[in-house]
Amino acid sequence: MEFDWTDEDAAYRAELRAYIRKMLPKGWRGYDQTDRPAYKTAARAFAQGMAEHGWLTQNWPKEYGGAECSAWRQAILGEELTPIGEPRGSQYMNVNWIGPAIMRFGTEEQKLNHLRRIAAGDVFWCQGFSEPDAGSDLASLRTRAVRDGDDYVVNGSKIWTSHVGIADFCILLVRTGEPDSRARGITVLIVPMGQPGFTTRHINSLAGDESHYELFFDEMRIPVSARLGEENQGWEVVRWALAYERVGSTQYQRAAVQLAEAAEIAIANGKFDDPEIQSRFGEAWAACQAARLLTLKVYDLREAGSPPTADSNLSRLISTDCLKMVAQLSADVLGLEALDRKGPGIDPIRNASMAVASGTSEIQLDRIAIDFLGLPRSK
Amino acid sequence: MQFSPNEQQRQIIESLQTLLSRHAGRERALQFARTPGYDHELDAALGQAGFLDISQASETGGLDAALAGFETARTAAVTCFTASALVSPNVTGHVSDLRVALAEAPVTQPIRLGGYCEMLLVLNDDEALTLDTTPDDWTTVDTNRAGFPLARLRPGAITRARSLGPGSGARLRDWWRVEIAVQAAGLMKGALDLTVDFLRDRRQFGRPIGSFQAVQHRLGRLAVMVEGARWLAFEAAYRDARPDLAATAAAFAAGGADTMFRECHQLHGAIGFTRDFPLHVWSIRLLQLQQELGGVSRHRRDAAQLTFLNPEVLAAAVTPAV
Ligand SMILES: Cc1cc2nc3c(=O)[nH]c(=O)nc-3n(C[C@H](O)[C@H](O)[C@H](O)COP(=O)(O)OP(=O)(O)OC[C@H]3O[C@@H](n4cnc5c(N)ncnc54)[C@H](O)[C@@H]3O)c2cc1C
Repeated sequence: MEFDWTDEDAAYRAELRAYIRKMLPKGWRGYDQTDRPAYKTAARAFAQGMAEHGWLTQNWPKEYGGAECSAWRQAILGEELTPIGEPRGSQYMNVNWIGPAIMRFGTEEQKLNHLRRIAAGDVFWCQGFSEPDAGSDLASLRTRAVRDGDDYVVNGSKIWTSHVGIADFCILLVRTGEPDSRARGITVLIVPMGQPGFTTRHINSLAGDESHYELFFDEMRIPVSARLGEENQGWEVVRWALAYERVGSTQYQRAAVQLAEAAEIAIANGKFDDPEIQSRFGEAWAACQAARLLTLKVYDLREAGSPPTADSNLSRLISTDCLKMVAQLSADVLGLEALDRKGPGIDPIRNASMAVASGTSEIQLDRIAIDFLGLPRSK
Repeated sequence: MQFSPNEQQRQIIESLQTLLSRHAGRERALQFARTPGYDHELDAALGQAGFLDISQASETGGLDAALAGFETARTAAVTCFTASALVSPNVTGHVSDLRVALAEAPVTQPIRLGGYCEMLLVLNDDEALTLDTTPDDWTTVDTNRAGFPLARLRPGAITRARSLGPGSGARLRDWWRVEIAVQAAGLMKGALDLTVDFLRDRRQFGRPIGSFQAVQHRLGRLAVMVEGARWLAFEAAYRDARPDLAATAAAFAAGGADTMFRECHQLHGAIGFTRDFPLHVWSIRLLQLQQELGGVSRHRRDAAQLTFLNPEVLAAAVTPAV
């Protein structure tokens, strides 16, 4: 047991910080997502630049464009990039779980097609999981794919899909088993955006301009070769994906950075001298630090080659709690000024939405109770 | 960065768990609640197996002692082990087999295990004081035979205390905080384990109570609290009780102690309030621990000050803005 970064890891972090400073204008806090082409161009340029330095997928095997470094490199990436507004855009998902899922479940052809492009920082993906009637109960999803020769024919719809406006591919969950087959009848498809029969609709969301879309599939044909993993075995892919997704964007560090910003304001405006406010800063900081360790523990398990465990649920729950705690504290430090979108306040809606995205807190608690504590199932 | 224990740490934990399974546990905890006393037998076993020197035995001694402290606290053993093996060597600079207790000047508050200690470490602003004590220096506090045995130092005894020199106070405060975090994490883990076991067995409405989601979610939150407390305590010990980390660990662990107390009792129903059921041994200790060293608010405020008013600490901990 030790809690030090290696010298190499520390040097990597320092290089990354210098690169960020070089690439982004001072005061940058995230892209304007409403100008999608500009957003995509800038995010791609940032990621490609990282790829040129070999920083984007360092922990991947050499054959797929990595450098065989430890999973800790990825933790550092997340710690440095998530809190400042994720300059890779949605490419963080590629590196965190889409790539690893393709590596684990993909055919040679899929690996060849996708992994190099991901490692080069060229492509954007989106994640078509949730449906209007299948949110927390994801295993009840209904978007249907029927085999027809060498194709699947897909009908149905998805909702809440993020990053669609800049995506090149969608990783799509479909039902191939009987309607009531639940987790046993789900298949994963890799679908290029713009495929005939595939349309999208933007949803106006308070959580961020690229947060939510609807996807519609009307007799969309997609070759069987686009299937990731075996037919009806998609749930296994989902389990892996979600465990990695949860820790991949380091929400604890986002909360910690926001907290530090709020503290700076509180120190300047005198609120930090209020013992109650100061105590709440200490409380929130301690929670962020606990979240950090509980998340790094998941990387440690991953580095050791462990299959997904409920540790990722602990990490997600406490990290999103921190985001809410910090937003409230920021409001109490700033007053109504906190709600000025051009001001320094922390957006309470965006922070709150993280406790719904990627599985709600209640679903995390279900998993912790059953998988971590070993309590009996409710049914 | 590595969360799993190394080979040596694994051996420490395993051999300690074996020792504790013989000399400690729920039955023994209850026995000491029925007939108050100090577990000299356990201390002798810990001493014989070399656990008292643990903090000096290797480069990661502070962490090793914290790991051992967590295991003992988890069993609610009646021992000064964490103060003796974790705090004292790091403050005085040497190992001894004395039973140690911790206090803050002007030592008017009751002291955890005070009546049984041989050396009292007293935090007196920026100095740490040591006081050799005998049972005559103490008056027992009536705790209704619940929680840690407490005692008050007789007025006048403190005049015999010797200073460890300027600056030693900070060291004592920081290691005491780590000790509080280690103790609280261990006690919380023990209380949670008890509660989970109970709720798996106890049936109402034809099913185990632990299968009701309203109950499961509350336990899920407690699990996060225990795990967070544990890792923060270990990290602070690993970093030689760095002031900000020690305050942060204590803030988190002590900050959760009352919630753990309330939730575990609530989820046990009436049996949790009986002397013959062991929950009270763990739960009341948590409340006692929470009051030490100025209590939760002081840990939190110190954590805030030591972090946000310290540019160096802050720069190392958070990504700078672009
Ligand atoms: C910002 C954001 C981004 C997102 N991005 C994507 C994306 O890119 N791709 C994608 O596929 N999805 C995405 N989602 C969708 C997300 O995965 C779902 O919102 C989430 O799984 C919850 O589903 P739901 O919204 O239908 O809520 P519901 O499942 O309807 O839940 C509503 C409430 O009921 C509670 N609840 C539900 N079931 C239970 C239960 N069994 N026990 C107790 N309480 C329960 C929930 O916890 C929640 O509080 C995103 C969501 C957000 C907020």
